[in-house]
Amino acid sequence: MSCDYYIHMRRAIQLKDIVPAATNTVNTQFILLEKGSIAQDGKEMTCLALVADATASVHFQMWGSECKTFEPGNIIHLADGIFSYHKNNLVLRAGKRGKAEKVGEFTMLFVETPNMSEIRGARDPNNPKKFVQEATVSPHSKIFTPSR
Amino acid sequence: MCPERLLRTVPHEAENPIEKSLKEAFLLLQDQLKPPFPLTIPFPPEYSQLNHAIAFGILAQPHLAKLLWVYSMLIHVSAEKIETLFISLMRQITGGDFSESNLWLSVEVLKILSNNWDWLVEEPIVLSSALYVYLRLLADHFRLGGSFKLEELKRMEIDFCVKALREHFQLSMHIGRDLVRILQDVTYIPEFKDIWKDLLFDPKSFQVSEFSSLSNLYWRRTPSHFFLLRISPQMESQLRFLLTFVKWGSQKRYQTWFVKKHLYWPGSESMISDIVRFICCVHHPSNEIIHSNVISRWAVIGWLLKSCRRNYYEANAKLALFYDWLFFDEKIDNIMNIEPAMLLMVNSVPQYVDITHMLLEFLFLLVDNYDVHHREMLAGSVSASINLLLRKGVVHSLDPLISCNSISPALRERLNSFLPALHLCCHKKVNEDETSIDI
Repeated sequence: MSCDYYIHMRRAIQLKDIVPAATNTVNTQFILLEKGSIAQDGKEMTCLALVADATASVHFQMWGSECKTFEPGNIIHLADGIFSYHKNNLVLRAGKRGKAEKVGEFTMLFVETPNMSEIRGARDPNNPKKFVQEATVSPHSKIFTPSR
Repeated sequence: MCPERLLRTVPHEAENPIEKSLKEAFLLLQDQLKPPFPLTIPFPPEYSQLNHAIAFGILAQPHLAKLLWVYSMLIHVSAEKIETLFISLMRQITGGDFSESNLWLSVEVLKILSNNWDWLVEEPIVLSSALYVYLRLLADHFRLGGSFKLEELKRMEIDFCVKALREHFQLSMHIGRDLVRILQDVTYIPEFKDIWKDLLFDPKSFQVSEFSSLSNLYWRRTPSHFFLLRISPQMESQLRFLLTFVKWGSQKRYQTWFVKKHLYWPGSESMISDIVRFICCVHHPSNEIIHSNVISRWAVIGWLLKSCRRNYYEANAKLALFYDWLFFDEKIDNIMNIEPAMLLMVNSVPQYVDITHMLLEFLFLLVDNYDVHHREMLAGSVSASINLLLRKGVVHSLDPLISCNSISPALRERLNSFLPALHLCCHKKVNEDETSIDI
């Protein structure tokens, strides 16, 4: 097993623990559940996806070649990603410094609720670096309605 | 590990750790792998790295052809323990897939086997496994119209299977009762029609003392490793994951992905009967999993049956589901093989009673028509299956079926007729408790 894998997994956090921040420090693993339609954002292709791990789901913003590469069922490692607001949506993405890689498919458990993109928070007044969850806008994604 | 992927970096895909270590070894030693070669003998710890480097050098060449050449050379030098290599190769030949690459693999593996009969007869597992695989593939290939290449493949497949059956029937018998099932799918091919006739009316012509009647095959339970042959390793790991970890209610997405990956092209339905055999006979969940919230085998089979779009494949899938019922013998058979069919029928009432109806109808059709010369034997086995399932508490009673008005009275009456032995037993048992009658 390569060194990179171990380093990544030691730093990995679960989706339920991600908080919005302007830093690219999110290392995590998830399975891609559903892809939205591919759109154009200036010169780049973008595509929003519903991803999840065993603790929570979240919206994952894909850019450029990611849009065509990742498919539902793919298990993805995200290194140095960002979880922040982008055009009014709270999304997880690789960003300029991060990297998303497919490491497998199918064999990962997931839950669809809570959805971390549908939780609104505010900065902790005593500690501006900390976010506090204020309210759940919706237990599930409002963009990818749960399949029956 | 896929040889074609070596040396090629795929964007957004993590490097496989095995590939990475082979490549590193190659890059480190590549100067030593071309002339002038060093005259010193490496130390044993260096062998592993040298082997890795050589393996990378071979495998990085295009592509699977090289791998097949290596395998045929291994036979040539009588290398040990290479049967697993051939088994895993054959598992990579996808059922119902008429793409050029898949047909090419079919041909190439068959060529190696056909050119090495002396070796093959010393490897009963490879011979019987290859017979199983190519009989199944023939059933698919014969339905496809004739490109010239395919005609050549079909001819090779027929020659191989006929030779295995006519000249090495003792080894072919290792397959057991499922040999009858898969042979019946090809009896419209003249060579197999003749073999079928001889199996029925001239069993002695196969020159195997233990084989005097087709029923000798019925009483041989098919070893479970045969059912892995038509399931690729990836399909196997996904099915096992589904049946081991995924909870009731969460299966829908996994099922969609499974279909998208394995069952989306025309002809892929052919694999559904193989998947059903795998689920019934190979994947036996522990009691802990059975009593947990994990999705049950019967539910996955119900979904697979519903995925069949054509009657032919649906009928084959139902036969695969009930096959062990027809020949069940408590002394040699496993109750786990017959459990899914019963649970599917009972649990489909009342919400999906059409499934129960359809399955009962099919079961009785089988008992009456599968082998008219052995009708009573088949009925006895089905009765024994139902009795055992009730005795062991897999279901507590068949009353939900027998008293269900949505199932036709004729079917319900027929089902009841398989129960008298049990009722009698229960009645006797009650008497025993009360008065210790010596039965």
